[in-house]
Parts: sequence; structure tokens; C-alpha cells
Amino acid sequence: MAKQLAFYVDLNKCSGCKACQIACKDKSNLPVGVRWRRVFQYEGGEWINQNGQMIPSNVYAYSVSSACMHCAKPICMEVCPTSAISKRDDGIVLINADICIGCRYCSWACPYGAPQFNEELNVMTKCDMCHDLVDKGERPACVESCPYRAMDFGPLNELQAKYGTFADPAPLPDSNITEPAVVYKPNKVTKSSGNANGRLMNLEEL
Amino acid sequence: MDTREWALLAFTILGQTAAGLMIVLMIVRTYIAAKAGNDLADRLTNRPLYIVVPVMAVAFIASLFHLGSPLHIVRAVPNIGSSWLSREVVFAVIFMVFAALYTFLQWRKVGSLGLRIAIGWITVLLAAAYIYAMGMVYMITTQPAWNTIATPINFVIGSLLLGTLGMAAGLIAGGHKAEETNIVHTVLQALAIAAIVLLGIEFIVLPIFMAYLATQGGAALQSLNMMVGSYGVAFFFRLLLLFVGAGVLAAYLYRNASIAEKEKTLASLAYSAFALALVSEVLGRFIFYASHYRIGI
Amino acid sequence: MTQNNFLTKALNDTVMSRRSFLKWSAAIGGTAALAGGVDFGLKAIEGAAAAGEEQTLTVGCYHNCGGRCILATKVKDGTILRIVPDPTPVEDETPEVPRAIPCVRGRSQIRRVYAPDRLKYPMKRVGKRGEGKFERISWEEALDTIANEMKRIKDTYGNEAFYFNYAWGVTWTGPDGSSIIQRLLSMFGGYVGYYGTYSEAAYGVAMPYITGGYAGNSADDVVNSKLVLLLGDNSLVTRSGGDNGGYWYMKAAQNGTKFIVVDPILTDTVAATQGEWVPINPGTDVALIAAMAYVMVKENLYDKEFMATHTAGFDEATLPEGAPRNSSYMAYLMGKGYDKVEKTPEWAAAITGIPAERIANLAREIASVKPCAIIQCWGPQRRAYGEQFVRAVPILAAMTGNFGISGGNTGQLPGGGYCPMGGIPVPPNPVQVSIPCFMWPDFVTRGTEMTVEKDYIRGASTGWSANAGDTTTTQANKDLRLKSNMKFMWNHGGNCIINQHANVNYTRQVLEDDSKLEMIVTVEVGNTPSTLYSDIILPGTTGFEADNIITGEGHGIKGNHAWALFNHKVIEPMFEAKDDVWIAEQLADRLGFGEEFRDGHTTREDWLREMVAGAQASIPDFPSLEEFKEKGYFKLPGGKPFVAFEAFRADPEANPLGTATGKIEIYSPVLANLKNEEIPPIPSYIPEWEGVSDPLREKYPLLMMTTHFIARSHSTFENVDILREAHPQCLWINSLDAEARGIKNGDMVKVYNDRGIVHIPAYVTNRVRPGTTNMPQGAHFTPNADGVDIRGCGNTLTNYRPTPMAKGFTAHTNLVQVEKL
Ligand code: SF4
Ligand code: SF4
Ligand code: SF4
Repeated sequence: MAKQLAFYVDLNKCSGCKACQIACKDKSNLPVGVRWRRVFQYEGGEWINQNGQMIPSNVYAYSVSSACMHCAKPICMEVCPTSAISKRDDGIVLINADICIGCRYCSWACPYGAPQFNEELNVMTKCDMCHDLVDKGERPACVESCPYRAMDFGPLNELQAKYGTFADPAPLPDSNITEPAVVYKPNKVTKSSGNANGRLMNLEEL
Repeated sequence: MDTREWALLAFTILGQTAAGLMIVLMIVRTYIAAKAGNDLADRLTNRPLYIVVPVMAVAFIASLFHLGSPLHIVRAVPNIGSSWLSREVVFAVIFMVFAALYTFLQWRKVGSLGLRIAIGWITVLLAAAYIYAMGMVYMITTQPAWNTIATPINFVIGSLLLGTLGMAAGLIAGGHKAEETNIVHTVLQALAIAAIVLLGIEFIVLPIFMAYLATQGGAALQSLNMMVGSYGVAFFFRLLLLFVGAGVLAAYLYRNASIAEKEKTLASLAYSAFALALVSEVLGRFIFYASHYRIGI
Repeated sequence: MTQNNFLTKALNDTVMSRRSFLKWSAAIGGTAALAGGVDFGLKAIEGAAAAGEEQTLTVGCYHNCGGRCILATKVKDGTILRIVPDPTPVEDETPEVPRAIPCVRGRSQIRRVYAPDRLKYPMKRVGKRGEGKFERISWEEALDTIANEMKRIKDTYGNEAFYFNYAWGVTWTGPDGSSIIQRLLSMFGGYVGYYGTYSEAAYGVAMPYITGGYAGNSADDVVNSKLVLLLGDNSLVTRSGGDNGGYWYMKAAQNGTKFIVVDPILTDTVAATQGEWVPINPGTDVALIAAMAYVMVKENLYDKEFMATHTAGFDEATLPEGAPRNSSYMAYLMGKGYDKVEKTPEWAAAITGIPAERIANLAREIASVKPCAIIQCWGPQRRAYGEQFVRAVPILAAMTGNFGISGGNTGQLPGGGYCPMGGIPVPPNPVQVSIPCFMWPDFVTRGTEMTVEKDYIRGASTGWSANAGDTTTTQANKDLRLKSNMKFMWNHGGNCIINQHANVNYTRQVLEDDSKLEMIVTVEVGNTPSTLYSDIILPGTTGFEADNIITGEGHGIKGNHAWALFNHKVIEPMFEAKDDVWIAEQLADRLGFGEEFRDGHTTREDWLREMVAGAQASIPDFPSLEEFKEKGYFKLPGGKPFVAFEAFRADPEANPLGTATGKIEIYSPVLANLKNEEIPPIPSYIPEWEGVSDPLREKYPLLMMTTHFIARSHSTFENVDILREAHPQCLWINSLDAEARGIKNGDMVKVYNDRGIVHIPAYVTNRVRPGTTNMPQGAHFTPNADGVDIRGCGNTLTNYRPTPMAKGFTAHTNLVQVEKL
């Protein structure tokens, strides 16, 4: 297997604080509206009346930090009419802003909502895996930013050897679609893709 | 929907109209040529032909508003190997070039009849390829409401319908001599029947498509809910207009075309049938874009 | 309301447009430093690295979350590229001293420094106060005006007309910060100070009456706990970065420590520790505690010996001398106390909303799993009867045998180490009177009528609750009076004038009459509702614009180790911003004591050097200023976690607590002497006004809390666009309450009571108890033409009605109604 760099997020350690999202925006100077890394708040359960008292029944909440997954089958790249999207030898999927014509086709296709249009620059942009840092031997800004060390970064096979292969926490889509380069470690309440009784709650995603 | 999406809507509808018109036009031309000779065929079909390229040009200009960097449209070509959008753009361009060439040859009567007819048919093939590619653009695995056979069918039928009714309108608008009335009316009747048949196909595909969405759950179901929910009114009007335009008016067109003295009525019937079909397609495309739900987040 | 859109108008005057900020962001990227015709002053700083070289310079995060995380900027050619976390090499990280990786707020610092609403130059008010009309003036004019007004007010009303307002925008940060201004005002003849805090007034004042002072095990000790019971503690949000509570709680949870969290909200702390959520009705914790104590007594599950030897007033046998019969906690529990009600789980269930069975099981669990850390945080004491909660929790810690042991806790907030530094010397304040900080509007309206007995004014105080002095001894000096109402207020990097104080609309009324409080001077970096109610606004520097030294907070929910941070000046001051030392010196010159004020300190560095000398006095290894600056931080090695009151546990006779009896005073004879029903000698459940059982719920059925929010440290960071995007301000409302009102997630709603109206998006969730809502505090009050706040400032709805004893803020006790807009 060719080298494939990947992200890891331990959902047991993620509080949903979004420090990773802000670190990403700080590093790449992203405007409001462009969130290369997003943290999805997922909730479920209900309140029921038990002998006249309201009690929560299976109420749960967890967060999933996600960015571009630098997929093995990058559907973004497949549909892009230009050659703006490419995959490097180390697996990083990049959009070349000089070539992108801003047709938004990739954002229709990517099930992770990773490509996002930058209204200031008039091009599609997305997580570039901080390749400038990675090329210098450093780790991506988001990975370094987590106060609880929930994130890791490295070759996918190494991450999988260390942490397993789960890549399908709800509300993310089925990993079969694009074969994302990511590993998640589920926590006690994590549901799998396609789970029908939880909801994505983020007001900024409405 | 913002400017960008309206631009996309204009591009697809106008492109479909131009391509559909081209296809129907060549068929009609062949029919007239067989019945009444090539001269008449050229004369009757040239007027409608002259609008194909301008419509296509407007479509292109509209498409630029959809792009973030319109000046770089040429960059849309390289990924023709895997991207249907590339293919759509490429076919659109080649189609337009050939349509322009054919129009020029017809206008100036340059080249032999055989050559012109050949170029005309090549243009038809390109138009068909263009429409097919246009439909395939939306066959994205992560867009369940789009990723069904209904999408290309819809694009092709829509295109032929606009082409058929557009041709009918163009034929009448072009005017004709008294002795040509017969053949014109025969063609109009044929076009009316074609429109009704196409309408029939749409009305068969649609419920099957909706039933399919309903069984898929998830994003597909959300799309369906959106179509009949938030966009329910638009959806209803789209069907109504389509039915009235391609059905009722086409039927009247058919009936009236058998009566020689009804030129005025015929004209208004043909124009309004086309107009209604056009508005219906716009509404349909609007719902198509507005109600898509991507799998994932 | 006459001042329609007063904020908008003012903003037009002071704010550069978002557009120019964006251009400016581009400028940060390396192009010209000129945008929109304004020179943003992005000049290379003196002594900066050579062109093209990338430097890593430490800067601090010294906002009032208390966290003090370490961050650094990558700087190139005089512009800041980005923030990086604590630059301590990963190899140097130890389990005891983790790298202090900043939280979501700290990561956004650059946008706070370059915020579009930065104040650019000194301004004076030209319209009516609060109307928001300001005019640019020179520093010269600003300083002359302030000095002249100070002299005039001193001549007319005396020094007791001066007030140094409660503010924490710049603190634990020398030489900028409060001390430099307190030095100025003291040398000027004095000022009325405050005591207590908006955060933990009841905690600071009431805790001494049970444990003689306040101390908890250091936060890193939770790693040694089997079970942690949190009451109203959301450290994953309040102190989410660095090595503060959030970090240690997460670490413990990873280690297998079980968390049980009593909170009306399924907070991020519950979710992240994957803990058990005990959703309680707000304001009823004391009833829950009583019922759990009842179960432990009934089922013989408590440490009888410890209660007999270490506590006073738990039962009749240990009641202090002179206490009446049946005044013990036991009597209270068993229905023999003053209220004659047995504190059964069923009794508590009806109040708390927690099923009786669950209460009983909870009692059994925390009584049997050892060690168990029982931790209270400050939220539940910012309520109508906050003092009762404060004193009730340590009872559980004592009963379960967890008081004074590792892995246990005292029922208090965890502590943490800190690095002692020298500071700006503040001479004794010649004015020997202070007020509870929350009561300042009374100082404006009826200062001379305020009394010791009713209003709890006191002798001099240096600041906050921990050293605020003893309420009862100051009660002795019953004749203490203020000689003047407040006429001059210095507001130093604070937003308590309007935004962070209760009942915004009342405060506005008090301030709009400028014949009462004649002069308000505010030093700020960005626009706030408070700057708009000021008379003179001085643009201050942010941490990025001046060298500073940052020490830990004196008490902090963190590990048992400490550090100091050298905060580098990474850019030149923006616009005409000036640092606090310069401002104070300039005023001292104008007031005629410049030389005395400087006391030989001719440069800023002189003050820094003195701080370092102060540190070296207690820590011999502390580096020189130069070495300190070069490395950027100094970290003391960590030791074992701190265990509070360990010695007392071992031998209570030899190591008595600072209470009257030297024991854990569950019955306080001193409080008994106050003979105030709202301040009973034993911690008792007192039904709240605007609480669960207030009949006012017929009109305003929903309880509303105003909790801390992850996107802000109080109201700081409110101006950072990407934080508002990441964590939008919203009203938490239970899905059942929302459904009954036709509200869907994200809908705009109207929240109101008799005090005000707020328009805000609803976050419809099951993470909050039915009947309870939450409007996170700190959003900037922004009234529309009808006086409706449209940004979600919770204090539009809170009540200026203090706790009985500490006169603390009751931010979470509110009733409201909610409607779909
Ligand atoms: S920084 Fe860490 S804890 Fe915070 S949201 Fe990101 S992954 Fe989760
Ligand atoms: S996550 Fe989306 S944008 Fe990223 S590589 Fe996969 S398909 Fe492409
Ligand atoms: S790798 Fe870099 S670009 Fe991608 S999400 Fe993380 S910080 Fe953003």
C-alpha cells in the first residue's frame, strides 16, 4: 500500500471544545464561514415521565472532530472538471487554488463537506493537512492544539495498527463511499454511521 | 438559491433548449426534405436554427456566473477522463462550434447539400452527447436524489420537450407561404404528438422515482420530503404547467393544425405551450437543485 | 428609552469595518501594512529577529478564566503568523507537569488583538452618558481631563468619592494590571475599595465559617480518586485548557475514575468524562445533600468517629457551647430541627426533581466507594442562597471520610500551585472602607446610607474574598460609614459597569444620571457596553503589545506545581494604544507625585526586574530576567498532589482549623449570633425567590441560568468572530419546553421577564432539564431601537438582588418566559 497520511481522533478524549477548529483557522487565516475542521455535536435520547417525575432516558451527547479525510477514493478529485485536485504520494489531497474554477462540484460530491468555498478568494478550499508543516516534519496545527491530546497523525497503517480501524462514527457517512484516511476510537455512547435516532445539533451547521 | 445557482439553472435550461431544438430540427428537416424537397426543408428550418447558437451563447454566459473564477473556464477541460462536468463542458463547446458551423453553412449556403446535412447530423450527435453528459453530471454517489437513472432520463426528456415545443413555435414564427401550410401543419401535428408522448414518459418516470426515494431513507427521503414539503407548491405548479403546456395546449395544437384558417390561434398555442413548458422546466430544475441532500455532512 | 441604537452609533465612531479587517488579515499575510487608509502600525518591533527569520515568542493567556495557559506566537518580519501551544519540548513534559496547551479561546488570541473593534485613540463622551457619542481626543487632553477631574472631585467630595471598580481584564499580569492603578489611587489619597468577587462571593465569605478558610486538594489529585462527585462543576468549559481542571478530569476519566455530575445541564464535563448525569433542579443542591446525609445516617454509612472528633454541630453531642437543643445538623435531618421536616429522599425528590431511589443510591455509592473526591464549583453559589450550598458540600466530604485524604477532597474547589512573584507595590490605602464589589450601584445612589449591618460595608480590603476579612469582626465596627457617594470610578479593563452586572436596564438608569456618578474612566482594548457608558475611554495595549510577566492565579483548579511566563511584546502597540504603566505614570506626573510614583523605576523593564527579584527571593533557582525572557517560561517541577487539611485530619487538636471551634463547623456559633433567618447556623435548604417553588412561575415558568461559556472568558473574546462562529450564543431549552412553544432548534426566540427582553436563537436539546433554560453569560448587551437586547446578554434578565451574607451576584436565579419569534 502506498503511503497514506491520516488523522486519528479519540472520541473518549474529545470534549467538543473546537480548539482544533480555531487552531486550523488561525493557522490558515480562514474567514468566518470556512471551517476546514469542524466539530460535530451529536445528541440523542429523550425525557420521559416516570411516576410523575421527569427523567432523562438514554440522553447522550458526543462530539466528532472532522476535516478532509484525504480519502483513498477521493470523490472530490474524481468529479472535479479541472485538474485542481490532486493526491500527493503521501496521500494528502490538495486543491490547487490557481487551477480551481470554483464550480463547487467537489462540494456537492464530498460526503464530509470538506471542500468549502472561500468567498473572499473565489475558490474552493479545504484542509490541506498542513502540508507545509508536515513537509518540515511537524504535525498539523489541529493535531497539536488539542488540550486533551485526543488527536494523532501519521501513516494510516500505523494509526490503524495502534488504534483500530473504526471510521464510521455518526453523523459521519459510511466510510465505504470514499475510504477516508481516518481512525476514530469510539467512546461509550458513540453511534455508527446511519444511526437514525440521534441528531446533529450544531447551530452553525443549520 | 443565490446568483450562482440561478446561473447554473439558466445554463442547463438554455443548453437543453438549444440542444433539444437542434435535434428536433434535424429530424423535422429530414421529414420535410423527404416530403417537399431540400429547398423547402432548409427554408422552413433555418429560422429556428438561427436561434440555437444565440441561446447556447447566453447559456455559456450564464454559466460563467456560476463559477468562482469565470475567466478560467478553459481549465474545466483536463479531467475529462473522470469528470462528467468536464465532459459536459467539452461537449457543450464542441456542440456550439458545430452548431455555429452548421448555421453558417446553412445561412451562406456554403458547401454541398450532403456536407451540410452530414454536419447537421454530427451536431445532433454532439447535442445528444451534451445532454447526456449534462444529466450524468448529477449522477454522484453521494447525492441519492440525483444518483438515479431518472436524472439522465429527465434531462433528455426535458431537452426533447423544450426542443419539440420550441421547434413548433419556431416553425410558426418563421412564417410560411399559403401553399406550404399543409406540410407545416402536418409537422406541427407530429410535434404535438411528440410532446404528448414525452409528457407521458415524464409522468411515468416521476412516480417511480418518488417511490424509489421513499424506499431509500436517509438523505434520499429528506430530498423527497423537501420536494413535496417545502417545495410542494412549486412542485405542484411544475406538474400543472407541464400538463397544461405539453398536454392540453399540445392537444389543442394538434386539433387546430388540421384547420387551415387558424394561423393566429396556432401561433398563440405554440408559443404558450413552449412558454409553459419552459417555466415548468425552470421550476423543476429549481426544485432539483434546492431539494438535493448529500449523504454525509 | 431615548438612546435608540446607542451602541450602533458608537460603533460607527470607533470601529473599523469588517472589510478593512479582512484586508488587514491579508496584510498580516505579508503584504502592505496599510489598509483602508489606516496605518495599522504593523511595524517591526525593536530588536526583532532578522528579516525572514521565524521566531517563537511566548505570550500569555491572562483572561479571567483563571487558567493562565502558555502559548507562543510565530513571528516573522514583525507580524504574527500564528499561535502555537506551550513551546515546552514534548520530551520535557512529565505526568506531573504537562504542557499547558491553551483552550479554544487562547487559540484565537490573534483575532482578539486584531479585532475590528479595537479602540484606536483616547475618546471623550460628547452626548448624554450611554448615548454612545464620543469624540477623538489627544492623550494630552485625555490625561489632563482625568487629572483635573480627579483634583476637582477630591476637593469637592474627598477621597471617599473615588472607587476602583471590580475588573479582571488585566490581572495576575505585572506590571500592567490593577496594582499599578491601585498604587496611583492610593498615592492620590486613597479610594474606596471592594471586597469579594462576582465569581465566588458566597464561597469566599461563607467557607471560613465551616473550614476556617478555603482549601481543596490540588486538581491533579483526582487521578487518585475512584469516584468523583462534581456539583455544578463544568471545568471542561470554564478551564478547558492548560493543566487546569479540565485536563486533570479528562486524565482521571481516562484512568478509569468514575464521574458523577450533579448539574441541571448535561455539560461538556459530563459528556467528556463519560460520567453519570444527575440532572437536578437549579438551586436545590442543599436539599439533595441533606437527603443523602439522611440516607447515610439511617443506613449507618458514615464515618462516625471522624464526625465526633473533627466536626462541631453535626449532632447534638458536638454542638458548640451555648447552642440551643435540636440545632444540630442531625436534628435538622431527622425532623427535629427548626423546620420539623424529615429530610427523606422523598422530601428531596419533590424539590430536586431527582427520583428518591436515585438519591438513596447516590448516597450509598459515594459513601462506599473510596477514595471519592467531592467537589463543588462556584456556579451553584451564584444563586439566591449561595452561602448554604457552599457550607453544605463539605459535610458530605466529612461524612464519607474523604476529608483530608489523597483521592478525596474537602468538598471545596480543587486548588493548585502557583509561582510567587514580586509585584507592583501598592502603598496602604488611606481610605479605610470597602464595599462588597457587587453593591457598587448602591454606592452610587445611596453610598452614605450604606451600613455595616445591612450592606456589609467593611474596613479596607485589597481585593477579593479570600483575604476580605471576617464579616463578623467588621460587624463590630457598626458606625463605619462612607463619607460620600461614588463620584469617580476607574474601570480598568472591566465590563461590570453594564454587561457583567445584574439587571442591565437598572444599571443603565443609575449611570445615565451623570449628576450622581460624575466621572467614569475606562481603560480597554476593545469596545464593550461598559466603554460606551464611560466618560473618558483610554485605549490600552493587549498582551501582545508590551512585555509582561504572568504568574499563576493564587488559587487555581490545577496541578500542584507552578510556572511563570514571560509574555513578549510581539507587535508595536496598535494605533495609539498605551500600556498601563505609562498611563499611570503620566497621571502621577499631572497629580504632582510622579517621582514618588516611579520610585526609581525609569523603564518598564525596571518593574519586570523587580518582579523577578521577588520570585528569586522565594525560589532560589528562578532565572535572571534575561534568561527568563529568552526561554519564555519557568516551570517548577511538580510534586505529589496537594492534600488539603491532611494535618488536621491526622491530629485535629494539634492542627485546628481557623474556625471558632477549630473543627469543621457544621454549626457556626458566629453565624448563629447574626440571628438572620437567611443565614442560619447550619447549612439549610432555603427555597429561593425566583426558584423552583416560587409562585411567580405562573407568569414566568422557566428557570434561567447564565452559565460560563466556552467561547468566552466572561465577556472577553466576545468580539472574536471565529469564536462566535464556532460556539454561537444561544438559549438552551429542553425539547419538551420548546415543543410546547412551537420552537425548533435554531429558531429565534424572545426571552423575557419584568427586567428586560432578549432575542436569541434557541438551542433545543435534551441536555438540559425540562423547566430550565440557560443563557450563557458574557455576550455584549446590544439593544435595538426598542431596547431589546439582540445579542443574548443574560444580564438583561438577571436580578440585582444579592446573596444574604456575601452580597454576591445571584446570576443563576432567574425566572423567564420564552416565546417563538
Ligand atoms: S481540540 Fe480536542 S477536545 Fe477540542 S474539539 Fe478538537 S479534538 Fe475535541
Ligand atoms: S474528504 Fe472529501 S474532499 Fe477530502 S479527500 Fe475525501 S472526498 Fe475529497
Ligand atoms: S490538518 Fe491543517 S488544514 Fe487540515 S484541519 Fe488540521 S489544521 Fe486545518
